[in-house]
Amino acid sequence: MIILAIDTSASPVSAAVLRDGCLVGEFFLNTKTTHSQTLMPMVESILSLSGIGLSDIDVFAVNAGPGSFTGVRIGVASIKGMTLAQEKPCAAVSTLAAMAYGLPYTNGIVCAVMDARCSQVYNALFRLKNGSAERLTEDRALSIEELSAELLSYAGEEIYLAGDGAELCFQNFAGKVPGIVMTPMNIRYQHAYGTARAAERLIEENRLCSSDELMPVYLRVPQAERERLARQQQTT
Amino acid sequence: MQKLLSTSEQQTEELAERLAQTLKGNEIIAMFGGMGVGKTAFTRGLARGLGITDGVASPTFALVHEYEGKYMLYHFDMYRINSYDDLYSTGFFDYQDNGVMVVEWSENIEPFLPKDRINVTIRRVSDNEREIMIEGAEIQ
Repeated sequence: MIILAIDTSASPVSAAVLRDGCLVGEFFLNTKTTHSQTLMPMVESILSLSGIGLSDIDVFAVNAGPGSFTGVRIGVASIKGMTLAQEKPCAAVSTLAAMAYGLPYTNGIVCAVMDARCSQVYNALFRLKNGSAERLTEDRALSIEELSAELLSYAGEEIYLAGDGAELCFQNFAGKVPGIVMTPMNIRYQHAYGTARAAERLIEENRLCSSDELMPVYLRVPQAERERLARQQQTT
Repeated sequence: MQKLLSTSEQQTEELAERLAQTLKGNEIIAMFGGMGVGKTAFTRGLARGLGITDGVASPTFALVHEYEGKYMLYHFDMYRINSYDDLYSTGFFDYQDNGVMVVEWSENIEPFLPKDRINVTIRRVSDNEREIMIEGAEIQ
């Protein structure tokens, strides 16, 4: 079983190949360049350097959201194109799950957070146990304050912050939420390796989709809208 | 806050050109002011101040125009943008921290703009005169 996984959902971009659970290769860049310029050369190199042909790949995995509007579209469109041509199934992975699956080396809670701007974050919580990640919440958008209040119910456990919202939350949670641990830089952001690991889970659960069915996943940010309406009412 | 008076379109452009000299490359400049007050003229001056020689036109239809100069300049028009979802789907948040962003019709999306920004408010005084208020930056 060979999985090609990619991530372009936020600022970094990565590609990885997993063969029978073994990481064959991974490519990660975190620069300001556009993913549309870096992703395909990365995929091409990783395949040619590892001696794997596009037709050898059994499952194509992508972080289908949440994330940046353009980033998610680049990733989803690329995988749609490849799987349409290869007639192979897709694994639509949650970017937040990919973060959790990228780091189940310890026990504790993973708080995967992406900065959705306007003091809002995309978040999901997972429990790491015995090398696997169990989902505790759905992917959702909420305010940093709401998240900080919710995390109090995990007092006594270590809470690992991952994602591009990690630093923002770390600063906000200081002195409020106990047990917060910042993950080290090499595993802080979503990686295609985590995407591939999460895809293995989708394969086990028979939850792959076709090229046609693969869609970007955008989360609504209800509070940002509520605040706008409240301000509008104040001024009128 | 700086309050300046411009007596011509050309002078509005010159003021903007001077504002461009104070930029570090990742600012958001939120523009306020109604139709025809000179927001696009102001942006044209900013672009010239950043060494951009391409003609600057209003991005009402394209939503955003990109220009390459001393820094990247992203020129947004939020005239038809009214909600967080609309704003998100313009890719607005993806541009943040990657260049200078000039945002016309900031009135429509003000709650979604970061607090750390430059506000430029242009008010019509008479046919040729404009009061230009600048907050968050000081031009020399």
